[in-house]
Amino acid sequence: MRPENYQVVSLPNSDEYELFIGPNHPGIEGNYAFKLKLDGDRVISGKADAGYLHRGFEKLMEGRLWIQNLAIVPRICVPDPVPMEVVYSLTVEDIEKTEVPLRAQWIRVMQLELSRIASHLFTFGGHAATTGMYTPSYWGVADRDLALDLFEELTGGRVYHIYNIPGGVRRDIPNGFLDRLSDYLDYLQTRQNDYDNLLFTNQVFVKRARDIGVLNQEQALEWGVTGPNLRATGLAFDVRRDDPYLIYEQLDFDIPVQSAGDCLSRILVRRDELFQSVRILRQIIKHLPSVKGPVRSPIPNPLAWNVAKGESYCRVESSKGELAYYTVSDGGDKPYRVHVRGASSMHAVQVLENMSVGQRIEDVAQIMFSLDACPPEVDR
Amino acid sequence: MKCDEINAWLDALLSEINEIEVTRKSERRVRVDVPASSLPALLELLKGKASYVHLSAISCVDWPGDEEFELVYHCWSYEAKSLLSAHTRIPRNSAEEFAHYVSVYDIYKPAAFFERDIYEMFGVYFESSPYMEKFILTEWNGPPPMRKDFDAEAYVNDTFNWADYHPQWLQDIEEEGGGIAIRPEDIRL
Repeated sequence: MRPENYQVVSLPNSDEYELFIGPNHPGIEGNYAFKLKLDGDRVISGKADAGYLHRGFEKLMEGRLWIQNLAIVPRICVPDPVPMEVVYSLTVEDIEKTEVPLRAQWIRVMQLELSRIASHLFTFGGHAATTGMYTPSYWGVADRDLALDLFEELTGGRVYHIYNIPGGVRRDIPNGFLDRLSDYLDYLQTRQNDYDNLLFTNQVFVKRARDIGVLNQEQALEWGVTGPNLRATGLAFDVRRDDPYLIYEQLDFDIPVQSAGDCLSRILVRRDELFQSVRILRQIIKHLPSVKGPVRSPIPNPLAWNVAKGESYCRVESSKGELAYYTVSDGGDKPYRVHVRGASSMHAVQVLENMSVGQRIEDVAQIMFSLDACPPEVDR
Repeated sequence: MKCDEINAWLDALLSEINEIEVTRKSERRVRVDVPASSLPALLELLKGKASYVHLSAISCVDWPGDEEFELVYHCWSYEAKSLLSAHTRIPRNSAEEFAHYVSVYDIYKPAAFFERDIYEMFGVYFESSPYMEKFILTEWNGPPPMRKDFDAEAYVNDTFNWADYHPQWLQDIEEEGGGIAIRPEDIRL
């Protein structure tokens, strides 16, 4: 809000007061405000306030060629950009009825899982920092950086990769990439003990996170919660297994669940998921060399590409939850409409507003981060 | 209840509603075209009787040629593992007067977020939705920007003066061959 629009409001005498968290706050991964009404240190109500990151992506995409939009979509979620590229490509392929070569599907899943690892490492650090533990945040970001090194080698970009295109991926993996990926996974597994000791079994953290921000399964289903936040309430739902895309049906992995639904359960689900992703990547390293063939099926000249008329709703499991795109084509060279259903659009707004009621002020930041909300997905 | 039973039950349920068109796009995707008057009843049946408890999204598409908005309700069933997209069309008004439709907040709580989003981006007012107010575009006074007849480039040219963003010192630099690469008059949004 611009300063000239602030107005002094006189309120009747009361013990209640308002506190603004954000728009810059360590409790969330971007610019996002949360207005609290408090009585003492108890939250009476909370109101989410988005709009600080709005760049009008959906409108921009209607004015750009199908292929140009690939440079826009990863920017909708900075910590976890790969699912954005993949799900956009999936919708275009679904409309055009393009077959994606098998090798490209394996490479896509490899990126998706590596991106999930990078995103979860970021979340561990952020969540720990909201409880006053700063070491995990340095560790998380440092270990995530090694994943970004791999992305840089694979795609040329560290944060925004723009590597997936409708029909497959841009190019094949570099020589020796799988060995370096394998080394990184070995390294992550040697770090497992350190993370457990420092964070996940550390009583300083556990006592701080247990029984805080409890969301039961009934509430979670009612409020449309998805992803790790839903699995922390005991429901083993994962788009990768229940609505499979790409080659997830051929992979062997578990869906980690916890039952308590509190901040601790949510971070433990993410911890287990990270090591399930390591397990998936090990299978990919083993199988990918035997999957021969092209990595891209031919598409028409991308600068004069009229995608067939049609509509498609595709979804993937991002590190935040269910991510979906609804794409409509009118047969032109640009999308007619692209609707982004960000995984955080539920978590950061209605779920957070409801969960914060009755909490103590010092727990609000932890609850915000434990939901792992990504504000650009709300603002788009 | 098994998946097959739910799907058979769903087909029986859908066949009972009039003026409805059902297309099975694939094993886990169903498209339903339903008139606007029957949509809330359909969603109530889907949630209450056919296990479609998760509203994944509500999408809005503007069709100015047909003078209509298309609303698409994407519902997911955890048991049947199937995604049903219910398409409906409502009349489209000019940007000054809102188009009107009913809220499905009392059936699906997540609808409140999507309805608020559609309200500020397309100007469709949802009766009885809890948050019909500005959310993302707090200080926006223009027409709903996601409508097809809203031209972002024309709006920028009318609202802002390029000279304000092109001061004399920058023009001096440009005369010497430096400065920004694209002249303001050449900028296309």
